[in-house]
Amino acid sequence: MVSPSALDRKLIRDLLGSGAVVLAIAGIIAVGVSCFVAMRSAYHNLGEAKDRYYARCRMADFSVELKKAPVSEASVLGELPGVTEIRTRIQQFVIVDLEGVDAIINGQVLSLPDRHAPIINDIVIRRGGYFTGRPEDEVIVNDAFARHHGIEPGDTVHLLMGDRRRGFRVVGTAISSEFVYLLGPGAIVPDPSRFGVFYLKRSDMEAAFGFEGACNQVVGRLSPEVRDRPDALLDRAELLLEDFGVASTTPRRDQISDRFLSDEIRQLGTFAFVMPAIFLGVAALVLNILMARLTEQQRTTIGTLKALGYSDGELYRHLLKFGMVVGLMGGLLGCGLGHLLAGAMTGLYRQFFELPRLENRVFPGVMASGLAISVACAVVGVARGARGVLALEPAEAMRPRPPEGARVTWPERIPWLWRALGTGWRMVLRNILRNGKRNAVGVASSAMAAALLVSGLLGRAALDRGLEIQFSLILRSDVDLSFRDTCGRGALLEVRRLPGVDHAEPTLDVGGTFRNGPYKKRGAITGLIAGSRLTAPRDAEDRRVPIPPAGLALGRTLAEQLRVRPGDELVFEPSEGRREPRRVPVVAIVDSFIGLVAYADLAYLSRLVDEEFAVSGVQLEVDPRADRREELFRELKRLPVIRAVGVREEMIESIRRTIVDTNAAATVMMVLFAGTIFFGTTLNASLVGLAERRREVATLLVLGYERSAVSRLFLRETLVINSVGTLLGLPLGQALFWALMQTAQTDSFRIPMADPSAAFAWTLVVGLAFSLAAHAVVVRSIGRLDLQESMRIRE
Amino acid sequence: MSLQTTRTDREETAADGPILRLEGVGRTFRMGEVEVEVLRDVDLEIGPGELVVMVGPSGSGKTTLLNLVGGLDQPTAGRVWFRDRELSACSKRALGEFRREAVGFVFQFFNLVPTLTARENVQVAAEIVDEPLDVDECLRLVGLAPRADHFPAQLSGGEQQRVAIARALAKNPELLLCDEPTGALDFETGKAVLAMLWDVNKRMNKTVIIITHNQAIARMADRLIRIRSGRIADDVRQDHPVPPGEISW
Ligand SMILES: Nc1ncnc2c1ncn2[C@@H]1O[C@H](COP(=O)(O)OP(=O)(O)OP(=O)(O)O)[C@@H](O)[C@H]1O
Ligand SMILES: [Mg+2]
Repeated sequence: MVSPSALDRKLIRDLLGSGAVVLAIAGIIAVGVSCFVAMRSAYHNLGEAKDRYYARCRMADFSVELKKAPVSEASVLGELPGVTEIRTRIQQFVIVDLEGVDAIINGQVLSLPDRHAPIINDIVIRRGGYFTGRPEDEVIVNDAFARHHGIEPGDTVHLLMGDRRRGFRVVGTAISSEFVYLLGPGAIVPDPSRFGVFYLKRSDMEAAFGFEGACNQVVGRLSPEVRDRPDALLDRAELLLEDFGVASTTPRRDQISDRFLSDEIRQLGTFAFVMPAIFLGVAALVLNILMARLTEQQRTTIGTLKALGYSDGELYRHLLKFGMVVGLMGGLLGCGLGHLLAGAMTGLYRQFFELPRLENRVFPGVMASGLAISVACAVVGVARGARGVLALEPAEAMRPRPPEGARVTWPERIPWLWRALGTGWRMVLRNILRNGKRNAVGVASSAMAAALLVSGLLGRAALDRGLEIQFSLILRSDVDLSFRDTCGRGALLEVRRLPGVDHAEPTLDVGGTFRNGPYKKRGAITGLIAGSRLTAPRDAEDRRVPIPPAGLALGRTLAEQLRVRPGDELVFEPSEGRREPRRVPVVAIVDSFIGLVAYADLAYLSRLVDEEFAVSGVQLEVDPRADRREELFRELKRLPVIRAVGVREEMIESIRRTIVDTNAAATVMMVLFAGTIFFGTTLNASLVGLAERRREVATLLVLGYERSAVSRLFLRETLVINSVGTLLGLPLGQALFWALMQTAQTDSFRIPMADPSAAFAWTLVVGLAFSLAAHAVVVRSIGRLDLQESMRIRE
Repeated sequence: MSLQTTRTDREETAADGPILRLEGVGRTFRMGEVEVEVLRDVDLEIGPGELVVMVGPSGSGKTTLLNLVGGLDQPTAGRVWFRDRELSACSKRALGEFRREAVGFVFQFFNLVPTLTARENVQVAAEIVDEPLDVDECLRLVGLAPRADHFPAQLSGGEQQRVAIARALAKNPELLLCDEPTGALDFETGKAVLAMLWDVNKRMNKTVIIITHNQAIARMADRLIRIRSGRIADDVRQDHPVPPGEISW
């Protein structure tokens, strides 16, 4: 083995000599790189699992939902240019009756060929097998639902179909690429305890729902040329099938499961660059300071080496190596940490996304970029910090340094202020103002850390606020019923008579297309009765917005997408009834955080679809007592008109369980990450300061100052700098949060503005805690200061 | 490489003509508004193998002159040659090359790298030249072989200065420039260090320039140059230099 050159040995000892600071900086780099590696790995893990799975199941590129069409008619879609293959199927919503479960479970039933064939949106059998071919009532259940309820092949489940309760023997459990993120009606997070997918034989479905030779959905695949822009084609499809009641045409990007999955992947892609950029930026700044200090400290040594004949380049490279080592340390640590983190994230995703073979793989490319980025960032920091080396003239470096011009700082020119300060504060202020650049970095770093923390904590606050607005201000019903078909007043009266129902309000959902000139969006209008209590649309200040007797109260997201304001008119084309485009005025804008909403008066909306009084669902306020509720649920299960039932408590509970808990884990990470910056930069600034002022500190000690008094001076400096930085970071964090939210915003979610005071308070607490932790290390260094040696230092 | 062969090398290359030549050299420093003329109109020739001692009051320009000769600095007037290479016309880079190949410095305050051991401090110089002397041999020569693995902080001032001499020697330079090598040392130690420089000059035939405040040391010189206010006030050849061991002060 070649032994390292003397210069390299110096490098190693320099590194060891700056131990704590080097570790802290490597730590900051490691955090940044681990974010990068974790998110990029999760990104690839998810992306690759998705692509594999979609290919395996032959995921549809589009679907068209119809009221009912003969298969022969629907099949004309297969002849459209660009459509390579189609499949017709029947889908319905049902209520599921499980032995021993009182709660209401919603289910979606889908037809599958009686005999297995490779089809679009195929299933992957998990347990058991496909239909046996025997003339029996058989069902394949989606695996998550089966797992959750302990359903095994051979068990029986009962489905309320039409007006019959039918038992089906479970032959297998399965997963499918169209249900990676499986949402029940009205839900925003998957809840396998309350929603399942049930695959039945096509022949059974046809018989049960009166769909002989008919279908109500066409799924299809497209040729690569049109796959990415299917809209024109879908418009044609809609025209072709107009007579069969096209409820919606859904390109893959609007398919619910795909949208959630793709949004998540896209967001990971963005975050994978934003977060690490902040950390690595800070690390480079801090390294810059450290290196500037080291170079200054080694002035004479570097001058001597130049006198010996070392060239500028050799010495500069020598110092760059310092950066490379720190970068490599941080990078390697970050890659390891990032891989673990990616594992944790992927594990979390497995709870949301039913993706087979979603594993945490090692991506050499990601690791290599992680290492390269960290080394590059460290080298950039060092390269700037060590620039002094190039300018240093050896003859100059040998001479004692000219004394720092004892610059008068501005507070000293304000006599009354200066007199009011104690000696301690005067020293603190002078030091802060004289080391402008270093302290600017300190301020910037703590601002970044605070900003990160604020943005993380605001996410949590916004989530809580969103849930509060959505479920205690806007949607206030205990139970929501939706009907299989639009009904008349009779249905409402019937529901009002159900046991335990204290109050019932009808709703009418009309799907269709909103148009404003070139802007177009598919959605639905919800009709509410005048003065409705159970749905109370709100404006941005949480004030109730009354439903106009004519015209729309439009959700903000939808209004923004359609570029309309109150007073404008837009065109609504219902996808039911006569489907005639109607001009409707936009009267008010309401705020909503989940989904795209539009409200109208129920009577007004009924008239729009040429009905007198139509109802598609009922919202209920019910008796809270458990036995009364059970009684209600039992009755509901018997009502054939009911398509789905949503229970508010359960909905909130499942949201809390999934989103909020996930968010808690993310918050802890965020605190640790931001803390690393607070700790690392504080430590760096203080130790660099201590190294520069060893003589001064030693003198104070020799004069008889207590070590605690001296360390208090450093603490004050730290606190001043970190407080300034943290305070600046608070609004910065809010801005960062909004910027990130702009990328995270989807049609399904809008993130509300939450009161930031709690987030601010916590950020201050965390900043203080980590700064104090770093200060503890500084105190120890002061305690170990060798007085005699420090006094001997030549400056 | 043994010291013996080096010596013969040098004898062959130490051809005729001066090794250093200064012509009308001046050095002015600008400090803000004021210009300080530190050296003025210096003409000087130094032959190969000479042992030159420079004396002069503090601030007279000795270090400045040594820096010009050693390629650490450039004159503001006049020209400096090392053999047929004009240092005053060299780029920064070429000056670095020159220092690397031809010059060994011994500084008043030793200037060892504090994080390197004695041996490594010598290595750091030896590693950048093509034909260095053996590092341990150099340390042995200055009597510090047993302390080779000690750090500067663990060595006395005299020991550190000896390491510095070993470091200057290891490069096997033609020119050894010593700026007050005994300034920080006591009498006995100073004498030992000077004896070493004497040895290097006589046995290895290197050109040695020593700056000092100490008039007594001047007796060891082949040539004594007095500097006063940036000028050469006096330049005497001494035919019977006294070895440092026999000098007392
Ligand atoms: N880089 C510089 N900038 C300004 N003035 C300088 C510089 N270098 C040297 N001087 C000035 O030049 C004069 C001569 O300095 P020099 O170091 O050569 O003196 P010296 O003879 O070596 O003195 P000493 O015996 O005290 O070491 C001094 O007045 C010094 O202040
Ligand atoms: Mg001098």
